[in-house]
Amino acid sequence: MTDTLKSICEQCTHLNNPQLDFIPAELERCREILARDLRELVSAAAGENEKSVAVLAGIVLEGTLYTLIKWQSGYIAERRGTFEFNPGHSLRNFVEIFNRWLNDLTPTVTLPDSVVYYRDLVHINQELKGEPSICATASREMLRILDLLLGVLSELTLA
Amino acid sequence: MADVARLNLTTKGAEVRLRSLLEDVVQGHFGVYPEYRLALAVWFGKSGGDVHNLLELFSGPPSNQFALTRFSLLWKTGSESPPFVEISATSVDHFSRQLASDPVVLRRFFESWEVLYFDKGLLPENITAAFNIITEPPHLMKGWYVEADRARGRTIRDLLSSYESSRPYVGLVKTGESQDFENCRGLLHVEHNQLWLPISLNGLKVYTFYNELQQGQPGLFLFRGGSLYLPLKFEEKTAPEYSSLVLKRLPDDRYPEVYLRAVHPPEQPAA
Repeated sequence: MTDTLKSICEQCTHLNNPQLDFIPAELERCREILARDLRELVSAAAGENEKSVAVLAGIVLEGTLYTLIKWQSGYIAERRGTFEFNPGHSLRNFVEIFNRWLNDLTPTVTLPDSVVYYRDLVHINQELKGEPSICATASREMLRILDLLLGVLSELTLA
Repeated sequence: MADVARLNLTTKGAEVRLRSLLEDVVQGHFGVYPEYRLALAVWFGKSGGDVHNLLELFSGPPSNQFALTRFSLLWKTGSESPPFVEISATSVDHFSRQLASDPVVLRRFFESWEVLYFDKGLLPENITAAFNIITEPPHLMKGWYVEADRARGRTIRDLLSSYESSRPYVGLVKTGESQDFENCRGLLHVEHNQLWLPISLNGLKVYTFYNELQQGQPGLFLFRGGSLYLPLKFEEKTAPEYSSLVLKRLPDDRYPEVYLRAVHPPEQPAA
């Protein structure tokens, strides 16, 4: 890999200086958790810890989608007919909901299925199923995907 | 005309709401049974009546019959009033065998149907074909990105042995090829919600293969079957004609095309 995690992370302004204003006051606890996990993610990237970064970035992504979907349940219900937020959903469910029902709010970001496999690297059997450089690839792509998503969300003024 | 339009809108609105209620039922069946995983949910026999039909197929131990369940679609509220859903559930294995041996018995599932959910990893080809579940465009080549330092000095056979057992990471639909097959161009794809879709220019920026090419240190694309290509450049172009090559067209028909050159590594690994 030509880029170090540290250098990628330094270019990811939304990871280093997260604007989590899209999270409403009533979800303050979510905001605190995301802010803490983002700090830990940046720290892991500075230490070139590929697996930690891949998994932690997946956790932050899941937390971001959880918060966004919970907050936008009314908007989704309007489009879908009915919608009830299920906090027990998996990351795969959250990604599907985001791509299907929230994509018009964030048309420049469509999440690939690979983000779910990357987060699942926490399980050794998933890493064994991946290509030899899976952690190196996953960590770099997850940093960039998360930065892109947070950047788009920071520009949104959600109702 | 205005009345007809309003009527259609109302019908449409009712169908949207009905679909969401049925999808809620389906979602309620994710991971409920430890031994069984939901593989397919089909809304069939669609009509304006009070009873709506769902077919659900589960992976896991095979069953030899359909189990029938009926309840109110408003179950979350504790209501037992219409509309109702009647679910016909069986195993993937049973359905697949019936489809092969006695498809007439399954005819009712193919009357006015719509797939609400599928997990392509759990479904055999005869079921995906029967329900017209298309997850990739024709002529899609699937493969992996190999960083330059990993590819150096290795034969194609050696590379394939390292990568073949892992999940394909990237796909290519060729849009043009030189007569000697040494150069080609095409559209790179990745999976979104189980569908192989083309990557937009903005989407490309998160991928290692794009960033390494921009830095002048590209790796190689290795495809199943043993084709190996070096990416030379990406060029975005407006090409409405490419919509027939992909499952979902990109906004404004703007496609980033990758230009590739075939690479022929030595037959024997470097000493």
